[in-house]
Amino acid sequence: MNLANWARYGLAATLATAAGGVLMIRRPTHANHDAAPARSARHARRFGDYRVTGATVSIRATPEQILDCWQSDPQLWRDLEYLPIPEGNQPDLLLPSAELRAMASRPLLIRIVTRREGELIAWASEGDDHADMHGRMRLHDNGAKGIAVEVIMAVRPRDFASTLKTEAMMAEALKLGILRDLRRMKMLIETGEIATARMRPDAA
Amino acid sequence: MRAATFQGKGHIEVRQMPDPKIVNPRDAIVEVTSTAICGSDLHLYDGVIPGVEKDDILGHEFMGRVVDVGRESTLTIGQRVVVPFTIFCGQCFQCADQRYSACDNSCPVENQQVAEKAFGYPLAGMFGYSHLTGGYAGGQAELVRVPYSDVIPQIVPDDIPDDRLLFLSDILPTGWMAALNAEIEPGDTIAVWGCGPVGLFSILSAFHQGAGRVIAIDGVPGRLAMAEGLGAEPVNFHETDILDGLMQMTGGVGPDAVIDAIGMESHGFSIDNIADRIKQTVGMGQDRAHVLRQAILACRKGGRVSVPGVYGGKADLFPLGALMQKGLQLRTGQTHVRRYTEELLDMIERDVIDPSFLISHRLPLDDAARGYRNFRDHQDDWIKVVMQP
Repeated sequence: MNLANWARYGLAATLATAAGGVLMIRRPTHANHDAAPARSARHARRFGDYRVTGATVSIRATPEQILDCWQSDPQLWRDLEYLPIPEGNQPDLLLPSAELRAMASRPLLIRIVTRREGELIAWASEGDDHADMHGRMRLHDNGAKGIAVEVIMAVRPRDFASTLKTEAMMAEALKLGILRDLRRMKMLIETGEIATARMRPDAA
Repeated sequence: MRAATFQGKGHIEVRQMPDPKIVNPRDAIVEVTSTAICGSDLHLYDGVIPGVEKDDILGHEFMGRVVDVGRESTLTIGQRVVVPFTIFCGQCFQCADQRYSACDNSCPVENQQVAEKAFGYPLAGMFGYSHLTGGYAGGQAELVRVPYSDVIPQIVPDDIPDDRLLFLSDILPTGWMAALNAEIEPGDTIAVWGCGPVGLFSILSAFHQGAGRVIAIDGVPGRLAMAEGLGAEPVNFHETDILDGLMQMTGGVGPDAVIDAIGMESHGFSIDNIADRIKQTVGMGQDRAHVLRQAILACRKGGRVSVPGVYGGKADLFPLGALMQKGLQLRTGQTHVRRYTEELLDMIERDVIDPSFLISHRLPLDDAARGYRNFRDHQDDWIKVVMQP
């Protein structure tokens, strides 16, 4: 190949690269986030200042049994990592569980803001000007699989992502923690116990 | 208590471990009277299944007597039980349809993450089979904690010896389900790869379920002889081009159904298997899937592929085109053991099946290391090892 050909092919490659670059830049972003179910959008897991995460399980029980377990079973409360639990004497307040407390940069006071019987409980933390955290548990029928229980939590990273945890790590920990909490609840409701491989009650 | 523990790849040691106690209300504690080494235990022994930790107690084939029960257990102390290897709750959506090995609730949440990343969902719990399946202590021990003891154990009569009942815990139902998954019709020709314990029980089950012919493929003469003893036609892959041989033996049609009773540790010197072995050795892949590839190619058009062999990762060069273009049906899965134990126990009680023919060696539990080594390295005569604690 002579020099002229090198120049010709080089010019063509440069033009093609430039055209590709322009197309990439001008390409519309994935604007239709509503096409993805809630927290599963690939390109935007934020809503304003908030990072949105959550999990869903199906439990073979009635909505009343599910809410009753969450709101009144101390065996579940002992094991919950991220899902807030009801505050004993005050029906409108939720207590942040251990990991959630540890993750937040300041004390959290969580208040139930919406309650639709057998269907939805939503909460928000009380802050100076706006909430550091919103969350909701929604229940809907999933046929023979039981009741689908979905928990979504939206947190402001600046109040939760410490210097040791980046925003992505915080969101991943929260997502995994909520999933584990819901699975513990499913185990407890469906089987009467939370599965463990421990060989003795006192084992780690 | 004494227990056979994993101490590293190829290293089993019987050690003193703490006695198990009742942890959850549905638990029972079983004193093991017989336990066996399974072919799939060798995947752990060889280090090809991840999630096995030092001091993990191995073993998922065991039976014994109940010595303690939780308040929700329906067992009584002294009862004799065979314990299926798949741990299941009996109440979830999967268990309601008897898909016990897909139970949603039996794997502790702390141990679900790796399997969920690898397989999309967490697995059901299993006894002594790595932390991928819950990290439960296994049955190669004097005592075992059995969760969900009101639904898992198969209660067995006192007058039948352990040797005839022990394999209800895994390999007999596994062979039975492998044959069921092959959807055998009367007179069908079935090809079975692997004449280890699961392969032999697959052959036995295939005949019971109506197969006209069973072709048994292996490279170990002793195992092929056992297959022949069950009525199968033996084919040694060291001496026979398998695809060509099967075409000749089936009049150019191919077997109606094929059963891969080998799984992730295929043997032989085919190019794909050598490449798989290299990848497995350097940690680039887990499955040596030569047998599955060959079985799919060998199966007749419109046939069925049943895979009781254990796979744990991903396989390259998978003949997806053959699977699709020939219209094959593929069925696989860990065995839903408890779904089949009543029926198989009945067959044992009526002397229709006597699984004890498989046992080649009996050892004390203290000889577990020797049992594992010889079971892996001397396959010609070490067919099945049963240990007594």
